[in-house]
Amino acid sequence: MRLNRVTVPAAMTGRELVRRYVALGLLTVLPLAFYGASLSSGPHHAAITGGIAMAFSVAGASIFAALTARPVDQRLVLAGYHPYELLLGRLLFLELFGVVVSALFSLIMVLGTEPPHPVLLGVGVELVAVTSVPFGLAVGALAPTELEGVLILIGVVGIQLTLDSTRTIAKLLPFWGPQRLLEHSLNASVPIGLSLMVALAYASALLVAATYIVHRRAPVSRTIGNPSVPA
Amino acid sequence: MPANDGTNAPLLEAVGVGHSYGRKLVLNDVSLSVQCGEAVAIVGENGAGKSTLMRICAGLIRPDCGDVRARGRVGYCPQIPGLFDLLNADEHLWLFAPALGLSHEQVLGQGRTLLAELGFPVGDRSQARHLSGGARQKLNLALALLGGARVLLLDEPYQGFDRGAYVSFWEHVSGWQAKGLAVVVVTHLLTDLALVDRVFELETPRGSRSQFEASAR
Repeated sequence: MRLNRVTVPAAMTGRELVRRYVALGLLTVLPLAFYGASLSSGPHHAAITGGIAMAFSVAGASIFAALTARPVDQRLVLAGYHPYELLLGRLLFLELFGVVVSALFSLIMVLGTEPPHPVLLGVGVELVAVTSVPFGLAVGALAPTELEGVLILIGVVGIQLTLDSTRTIAKLLPFWGPQRLLEHSLNASVPIGLSLMVALAYASALLVAATYIVHRRAPVSRTIGNPSVPA
Repeated sequence: MPANDGTNAPLLEAVGVGHSYGRKLVLNDVSLSVQCGEAVAIVGENGAGKSTLMRICAGLIRPDCGDVRARGRVGYCPQIPGLFDLLNADEHLWLFAPALGLSHEQVLGQGRTLLAELGFPVGDRSQARHLSGGARQKLNLALALLGGARVLLLDEPYQGFDRGAYVSFWEHVSGWQAKGLAVVVVTHLLTDLALVDRVFELETPRGSRSQFEASAR
């Protein structure tokens, strides 16, 4: 696989996203708004809410990127891309976007919350972003339109936000691992156990699911013989 | 006389293709073959399955039954332009370059030549969302032609074209035929039918999938 088969789709995903100024601004401000609105319930509660709300931004951007690209992706695969190359390119840019946005947001939360373990708070927020991209790409590959995609996002992240992390249902959701890390960064008595590993395993599983779905939807080859034979 | 590649095998061959959307039967036992240097117009009333047949031939839809084969690269121009609204024409070309095994310079050279031939304002840095309907369609068509496709599947490719661009399009079809390409054009315009070698009329299947399956048994 030549590197530009991943880097060019990544660059174009970036250009597409960066030019959506309003959407980009809203996506960046959204977790901040959650954090600010929750401050009245205490800085620790606000940090967990704001951290998990990062999923709205990064997963939202990922869902939108996947759904916007779907009709063009078919043509690109027909032209010669493998579906996973396009997915990988999109993943590359969105992870970069997520890591940068969540780093800035972590800094704001660390300054505002002064947690006992600021590095762990940052890792927790970064982990939300890292998990959000494959989650968004999987939802984007599965959902028929933006409406269904956004409703799934609101449902999953909303439930994660409202549930106590010790509940079984919370443990089944994709952001349980980061949630435990965020809680541990604020209160060392909360055990983190395998939460980091669970989060990374969840992100990997979501990526595999997204790859499988886009592969299933990819055009089928009609070409027999050598496609490069000149006319 | 169309150019020939030295074999009698068609460049595109669809045999016994059938497809349904849910219970609605769209295509039933459709067979189509297009030779090297041949231009075929696909006609039929609304809902006859013209676009579905094109998508099946392009490989975008798996038919319920039947088989489709193409010799050489297939260029597909969808009815609704498949473009990124916030990318400009050059960025679209660049995006297609790695897929086609072309360098950035090669794809810009080839793409801009195609766009200029179609009357697209080459060098226009406007994002696709700011282009006119005709200009978007020209970009859509140029992307289908990139990389030396041998089979062209063009689904109402001139929507939004002005008269000059429309005439130029058909001149290009003649040129592609002369180069030995197989060209399939979905059209509703009667004037187009005189410009192709053959007209393939699709009839709307009457009845549901289950009724056809029963009659087939």
